[in-house]
Amino acid sequence: MPYAFVRGRAFRDIVLVLVLVFGVGSFAMLLARVSPLVAFGALFDGAFGTREEVAETLVQATNLLFPALGIAVAFRAGLFNIGAEGQLILGGFAAGWLGAQLPLPWFLAIPMVLIAGALAGGVWGAIPGFLRARFGANEVIATLMLNVVAVLLATYLVNGPLALPGSGASETPSLPHAAQLPDLVSDSRLTWAFPIALVVAFVLRWVLQRTVFGYELRAAGDAPEAAKRAGIDLGRTAFVAMALSGAIAGLGGATIVAGELHRFNTGLSPGYGFIAIAVALVGNLDPLWIIVASLAFGVLQSGGIAMQAEAGVPRDVVALVTGLVIIALAGRRVVAARRST
Amino acid sequence: MNPLLAGILALLGLTLVKATPLIYAALGGVLSERSGVVNIGLEGIMIAGAFTAVVVSGLTGSPLLGALAGVLAGAAIAAVLAFAATRLGVDQIVAGTGLNIATLAAAAFGLVLIYHQPGASREVPAFGHAGETALIVLAFVAAATLHVVLTRTPWGLHVRACGEDPSAAEAAGIDALRTRFSAVVVGGAIASLGGVYLSLAELDLYSDGMTAGRGFIALAAVIFGRWTPFGATGAALFFGFFAALQYSLQRAGVPSELMQALPYLAALVALAGFAGRVRAPAADGVPYVRQ
Repeated sequence: MPYAFVRGRAFRDIVLVLVLVFGVGSFAMLLARVSPLVAFGALFDGAFGTREEVAETLVQATNLLFPALGIAVAFRAGLFNIGAEGQLILGGFAAGWLGAQLPLPWFLAIPMVLIAGALAGGVWGAIPGFLRARFGANEVIATLMLNVVAVLLATYLVNGPLALPGSGASETPSLPHAAQLPDLVSDSRLTWAFPIALVVAFVLRWVLQRTVFGYELRAAGDAPEAAKRAGIDLGRTAFVAMALSGAIAGLGGATIVAGELHRFNTGLSPGYGFIAIAVALVGNLDPLWIIVASLAFGVLQSGGIAMQAEAGVPRDVVALVTGLVIIALAGRRVVAARRST
Repeated sequence: MNPLLAGILALLGLTLVKATPLIYAALGGVLSERSGVVNIGLEGIMIAGAFTAVVVSGLTGSPLLGALAGVLAGAAIAAVLAFAATRLGVDQIVAGTGLNIATLAAAAFGLVLIYHQPGASREVPAFGHAGETALIVLAFVAAATLHVVLTRTPWGLHVRACGEDPSAAEAAGIDALRTRFSAVVVGGAIASLGGVYLSLAELDLYSDGMTAGRGFIALAAVIFGRWTPFGATGAALFFGFFAALQYSLQRAGVPSELMQALPYLAALVALAGFAGRVRAPAADGVPYVRQ
C-alpha cells in the first residue's frame, strides 16, 4: 500500500475520531441537559486544571499505554489479542503477590516486581499463542475466554489460598516501601511508571522497525503467505508475539500495583485492557503515535470524573465514545492481512 | 417428598433458569456465525435487549411491549455490527468489542437520564412466573426452529453457504452480503431475548452490567456446541447446570470461581480440539468483499 495512501487514511481517521468525540459527546451532553461548552470545559479543567490533575492525566495515559503497546504488537503480527485486560490483571497479581514478600533493597525489589508482572502477563498471552501455533485455535476467542478466567483465578487466589487472615477485601498485603515505584510528582499517583512506559514504546518501535524479529513479525501480519514462503515460521512468530504482547500488558499491571495501589486488588483495572484497543487503533499501531493516543485518552479518562462531578454529565459518555471509536476504526489495514492465514 | 429428590428437582429447575438466557444468546451466535460473521457483540446485544425492555415496560406498563422493544433494540444493535461487517468490511472482532463497550456505556448513561440514578432502574411490570416458564419453553422451541430453518429451508442453505464460501455462494446467485446481514440481525433479535429474560423474568429491573459476561459464555457455548442449534443448546444447559450447581457446592466449600471458570475452560479445550473434531464454518469471521 503506498505510503501516501496510508497517511491520507490516517488523517481521515483522525478527523473521524474527533467528530465522534466532540459530536457524539456534545449530543450526549445535550441529552443530559448540560451545555457541551460547560461539560467539555469541566472535562478539560479536570484533566489540566492543576498540577495534580495533570499528573493524574499522565497516570491514566500510562495505564493505557502499556496494554495498548501490547495490543499493537499482537495486531501488527496479525493476531487479535483481545486479552490485554486479563494479562494486565494477572501481571498486577503476580507483582502484588511477590512484592508483598520481598525483604529486598529497592534496586532488587522493584525490578523483580516488574519482571514478575511481565512474566505472568507473558504466560497468559503465550497460552493463546501456543493454542494458535500448535492447534490453530482462534486466538480471539481464546483471549476473550482467558480474560474472564484471569479475573476468576486472581479472585480465587486472593480470597482462597492466599487470603489475608481477618481481611474481607480481595487484595494482597501491601508492598513494602522498597518495592514501590518512586513518585515522580509529589501528592500524586504519578510514578516512574510513566517514563518506563515511554522507554518501552521507543524500544518497541525500534524492535518492530529495525530488528529481524520485528521484520518477521510484521511480515507475518502483513502478508502471511509470502512470509511463510520466505521461510518465516508463522507458528513460532505467533507464539512469541502473543507472549511479548501479554508481557507488556502484564508489565502495565505491575506498574499499577507497584506505583499506584501498592497492593493487588481485583478491581485494579476499570477496563484499561479494552480501552487500550481504541488507543492502539487511534495510534495506528505505531508505538510513537500510540503515546500520543494514550495521552488523548488519558485526558478523557481523568477529565471524565470531573465532568461528572462538576457538570453533572455521567462519565459513561467517555466509555460510549471510546466504544464508538473502536467500531469506527475497526476497518483499518490491520484487518486485511490477517485473514488470508 | 424425599429431600434428595426435591433437591435434584430444585437443581434442575435452577439449571433451566440459568441456561435460558445462554440458550437465546448462543442461538443468536450460531445463526450469525453460520453465515460467516463472528458476533463478539452478543453481550452488548443482551444489554440492549434487557435495558430497552425495562424502559418500555416501565413506560407502557406492558412487559410484552417491553419484550418486543427489547428484541427490536437487540436487532438494531446487531444491524450496526452487520452493516459494519458486510458493507464496510471492517474487522468483526474489533467492531464487536467496541459495540459491547458502547452499549454497556449507553445503558449506564440512559439509566441516569431516565431514572436519575446510577446503578439500577426501579422495578417495572414484569412477566411473573407464567411468563418466565413461557420464555424457557420458547428457548427450546427457538432451538428446534433454528435447526429446521438452517437445515431445511432455502434461506438456511444460503446462510450456511455464505459461512463456508461466500464467493461460491455468490457464483450460485446468492447475495452473500444481504444473507449475512439478515442472519446477523435475526441472530441479534434471538440473542436479545436472553437479555429480556434476565431483566423482565428474573430481576424485574435493569442493573448495570447485569448480563455479567453471559454473552461470552454464549460464545463459548457456540463453540462447545460445534456451531449447531442443538449443540449450542446442550452446551448452554451444561454451563447452566454448573452455574446452578455452584450454589450447592459453594456451601460444600468448593470455590465458586473455579466453577464459574468452567465454561471458559471448556471452550478453550474445545477450541484446541481436545473434545473431538471441532470445525468452525470455513469463512467464519472472514469479511467478504465483492471483487
